[in-house]
Amino acid sequence: MADLNTNSNLIPSARMEGDVVIAAVDGEVDLKNSPDLREVLLDLINTQKPKKVVLNLSKVSYMDSSAIAVLVESLQKLRKAGGKMCLTNLQPRVRGLLEIARLDSIFVLAKDEAEALSK
Amino acid sequence: MSEELRLNITSDPANLAEARRAVEELCARHGFSAAAGADLGLCVNEAVANVIRHAYGGAKDRPIRIDATVESRASGAIAAGKQSAVELQVRVQIRDWGNGVDPRDLPENAKPKDPLKPGGLGLICMQRMLDEFEFRPQTDGMLLEMVKRRAVE
Repeated sequence: MADLNTNSNLIPSARMEGDVVIAAVDGEVDLKNSPDLREVLLDLINTQKPKKVVLNLSKVSYMDSSAIAVLVESLQKLRKAGGKMCLTNLQPRVRGLLEIARLDSIFVLAKDEAEALSK
Repeated sequence: MSEELRLNITSDPANLAEARRAVEELCARHGFSAAAGADLGLCVNEAVANVIRHAYGGAKDRPIRIDATVESRASGAIAAGKQSAVELQVRVQIRDWGNGVDPRDLPENAKPKDPLKPGGLGLICMQRMLDEFEFRPQTDGMLLEMVKRRAVE
């Protein structure tokens, strides 16, 4: 396991386990800070070239469509390289928005990081 | 039971959370469920974000006015002579002085949304979460009106 330096308050911690990046997002995400989320996520994907990204959203009580767009862009980048993206610990509002966007069956959803690593 | 909220903000994404929370708190003060308030708050967020991105092209210093009013109204059941019922509704008006383009006319919203294509989710939220919404073109911009209702016991 290796800790990854993100220099971001939005993703204060990330680590590499094998070929999996595990990162936790901290805080509400809207158009104000979704560009920051995009920069960190794409940088992690570009530099670490993971087969899977596990994104723990337990501390994300709110996200808007701009944040969803960042997740989709990250997913598509991973998919092009044969990878996948797993979202864990979703709070109800975030899960609801994913369902409305019909993305709940496109992302891999898991109840926690352990389940995400097994999927 | 009525209450009015007036917000004058600039088109800076940093103001989105303030607008959303103000509307959510207004809903909470008038007995709307947390989920209903969150729905309206998200729609306000999406509407204002659309103004910032599309009407103002990302400029951060343009004006946006948000007026929210809590109103009571007789539901349709009274008119039909059935059991009397009253509904409470929050009416939110979002006024901008941008390019006046109706978001429903944008290419990204012209056909059924592909989940993996960007754009259009804000409109879908409005369709799913609101009781009414209407874009009213102005001579110098756009007025969006949104309504969220709840039954009163």
